[in-house]
Amino acid sequence: MSLLRNRTLVPIAASFLFGILPSASAAASDTVVIEAGRIITQAGDDIIDGVIVITDGRISAIGAAADIETPWDAPVMGGPDYTAFPGFVEAHTNRGMDRPNENLDVTPFLNVRDSIDPVNAYFEDCKRWGVTTLNVQQGNNTVVAGNGRIVKPVGVTVEEMTIRPDFGYKISLAPKGGKSRATQRQTLNRTFNDLRDNLTNMVESAKQDEDFARREALGQGRERDADEGEGRAMLGTGWTVDGLEMVKRSSIDEKVLPLLEMVEGRHRTFIYCGAPMDVQPAIDFATMNGLLGTATLVVDDSCWKAADAIKASGMSVILDSNMLHIERDPVTEEETETFVPSVYAEKGIPFALTSANQSTNSLWFQAALCVGYGMDRGAALAAVTTTPADLLGLGEVVGSLEVGHAGNVLLLSGDPLDMTSWVEYTVIDGEKIYDRSKDIRNKHLLYGVEPRGATAIESDASETPSDIEVDGVDKPTDEATEEEVTEEHADGHGDDHGDEKEVEETVKKD
Amino acid sequence: MHALKLSLSLTAAALLSSAVLSQDEGDSPKTHEATALVVIEEAPTYLIQANEVVVAPGKTIKNGQVLVKNGMILAVGETVTAPDDAIVVQGETVCAGFMDAWSSLGIDPASVAEMGTGATTETASAVDHFTQDHFRVEARNAGVLLARSQVGKDASIGGLGAVLATSPAGAVVLDDACLSFTCGITRSGRRGDVFDRISEADSIGSRIASGIPYRQSLVEYSYELAEWDKAIAEKEEELADDFKKAKKDRDKEIEKAEEKGKEFKEDRYKEDKRPRAPSLDPDKAVFARAAHGEIPVIVEVHGTQELRALLASTADLPRLRLVLLGATHAMPFAEQLAARRIPVIVRPMAAGQPAEPEFKGHDLGLAGRLEGAGVQVLIGSGGSVAGVRDLPVLAQMAVAHGLSEKAAFEALTIGAARAFDIGADFGTVEAGKHAELIVLNGSPLSGRATYVFTGGELVEL
Repeated sequence: MSLLRNRTLVPIAASFLFGILPSASAAASDTVVIEAGRIITQAGDDIIDGVIVITDGRISAIGAAADIETPWDAPVMGGPDYTAFPGFVEAHTNRGMDRPNENLDVTPFLNVRDSIDPVNAYFEDCKRWGVTTLNVQQGNNTVVAGNGRIVKPVGVTVEEMTIRPDFGYKISLAPKGGKSRATQRQTLNRTFNDLRDNLTNMVESAKQDEDFARREALGQGRERDADEGEGRAMLGTGWTVDGLEMVKRSSIDEKVLPLLEMVEGRHRTFIYCGAPMDVQPAIDFATMNGLLGTATLVVDDSCWKAADAIKASGMSVILDSNMLHIERDPVTEEETETFVPSVYAEKGIPFALTSANQSTNSLWFQAALCVGYGMDRGAALAAVTTTPADLLGLGEVVGSLEVGHAGNVLLLSGDPLDMTSWVEYTVIDGEKIYDRSKDIRNKHLLYGVEPRGATAIESDASETPSDIEVDGVDKPTDEATEEEVTEEHADGHGDDHGDEKEVEETVKKD
Repeated sequence: MHALKLSLSLTAAALLSSAVLSQDEGDSPKTHEATALVVIEEAPTYLIQANEVVVAPGKTIKNGQVLVKNGMILAVGETVTAPDDAIVVQGETVCAGFMDAWSSLGIDPASVAEMGTGATTETASAVDHFTQDHFRVEARNAGVLLARSQVGKDASIGGLGAVLATSPAGAVVLDDACLSFTCGITRSGRRGDVFDRISEADSIGSRIASGIPYRQSLVEYSYELAEWDKAIAEKEEELADDFKKAKKDRDKEIEKAEEKGKEFKEDRYKEDKRPRAPSLDPDKAVFARAAHGEIPVIVEVHGTQELRALLASTADLPRLRLVLLGATHAMPFAEQLAARRIPVIVRPMAAGQPAEPEFKGHDLGLAGRLEGAGVQVLIGSGGSVAGVRDLPVLAQMAVAHGLSEKAAFEALTIGAARAFDIGADFGTVEAGKHAELIVLNGSPLSGRATYVFTGGELVEL
């Protein structure tokens, strides 16, 4: 009985929701169907007249409309005019935080969780420009920075936004403000030397305690109690400290533990190189401390000169947003231009692009620029989707439209590399989180439509008593008047809502 | 303890990354050893034929030959056996490549200007093979194939200097060539008064001296610990032997306590306290190396007051290998410098060359007069980048003012190499040494270089 009731009620509830509240989220339903004239899957050939079925936030079916059976009761988005594309993946950013870096040199005990601001305008821009996965790391002005995290631009709390918590650390070989390369490296070396000394001392003192306890028991004629729970032996491919299993991990200081786990290969690291001279030291540093398997190089535009060393190390790179490196010969004054991504593409080094700013020069602009400089279209698109997804260990989840992947789909008005294309809808985990027809900011900037609320007082002017309309002349003097004003505003909202519906229709016609 | 890595690469592909990112662990003495070059089977053999092979200062072979392969000198003599396919290079003179004992070539400029360097700051960690290549080319063209470069040029402690090669691929020849200090010089446009300068000189001596008790405490600790370990092991054996009895006694005590209704108390266990390990101090570890003469200590110092204070504050460090830099007013101390075998790296400067106040009173005759007093003279271009190419000219200026040609040549080759502990591998034309060579159309200091051999490559100029 209850089963039957569920079956009948859900579609009714869904249609009720969608009928009455057109803006209600599709998440109310378990299944969403997206139709598109063309689906660029980034996992094989494009699909013409395709559908994507997203169930419980994950893609459950994708293919040509003729081949896919869609649930009759699922809400449908898109249509033949749209191009579907996987959500862009920002491989590395320090936007969305209250500030990118700390004053201290070595801060692995900090976490970007405490710095990310969910209502930062950046995340709104991410929805608007189709960036659905972001690796938020601290900035490059550091020696060893705090713990990063991978987020999606949805949610009102950091936890809600989080895809991978406690993900990765930034290490910089380029000098932090107030340092030079020599002292930067000195600090970095000392940090990891101290780590080793620290761990060695801990093991030594644990050994001493254990030895003392054994002798004490012998001297007192007492059988010893069984050992309590122990720590773990140290892992790591660079160096290890023997006997660390004698030290309980919980007793290790929070300033030391993250570094230990880094050396053990338990954390990703993002190593910043600000000049080609930083690249080999970065590789040596990674090798020495066993980070080669977990580290990705974050490189500035001049680092292409050390591309051979990067290739030999087998590491991947995240490129600086400035992709055109211009250099003037100090003797001849001749200028040389190098389009940086092409160098990495030719050498076969996996690379990810990053946004130059949070809106106009976002990822698809960067990819289009690569194509403009002669790069293969597939390679350019991969650098903003599948490659960054792989770099972040999310290759099986985001970056391409495949069964089992997260339902992160952009519905574009045209080709993703066409400068006239717009993101019409952004879908994350099957939930529509952006709809251009309802984008107040876009409408304001492009069509001059005043956002609701911005004109409330003016439009209500005729209905408002003249004595409180002009600010500063006759201010409301008692509570009663204030209440009146509030009521007026409340009414005004109702009127505005009506206006906006009209505007929406105008926009759609455009 | 870590071994010095030398990677003079032959080709980019063969470049084995040198472990420049070296760490200073503890204070164990460090050996200076040069690892072999990357050997490429098809590397050509070169036969250099010259009217004069300058093997070492004052030692030449007329109409001699030098056989070179893989960046190493295989044979030197009047005639050497060369394979048929050897490439013949001819010239008037062949001699060892020059070395600038005082430069900042090949490193990141911000690190050179850095004032926050310390004893453990390493010049090798600021090496930049990618920019300012033209300065390296100019230096190479002038026959300057090695340069001792230094970060923190004007800082009170500049840290560890490095010897770099000006070869096309660039290389760190030695990453701990010296520990560098400055004393009483102008920093950021200001020079301290005489008391500041004297106290700076005093502090250099006391800082280096602090390394001695530090190392001693480590050694003492290791002996004390070994003794304690031995004693405690014996004690543990005894305890183990007496365990059965101790256990019986304990059981009895427990019974007794129960009978009396008292709480049982364990016997207090006592043993000798373990010796405490001295806390590790990387700075003092470096000072200890300096105090024990494992690395030379370079001090830029000019005025008489600070020179006197420096010599006094370092007089009690018999193993210290002090080298003075600049030393504008060194003459009053020449006798002492000669007796203590303290070399001086002079900077011969042309008239009107902008210089800081400490150079006031500088004259080109200093090198010659020091030589006359029996002081070993070395020559440097003064910590510059662009000036490295002038090194042979600077040497000639010193010669024009009284330095002997032999001493000048020695200063640019084996003298500098020995001062920085690379004399076994560089500085003369002898079999088994690195082939860092210049082929010239005239005498070593006045001829023009036509070829240089560097980093395993033949560079035609």
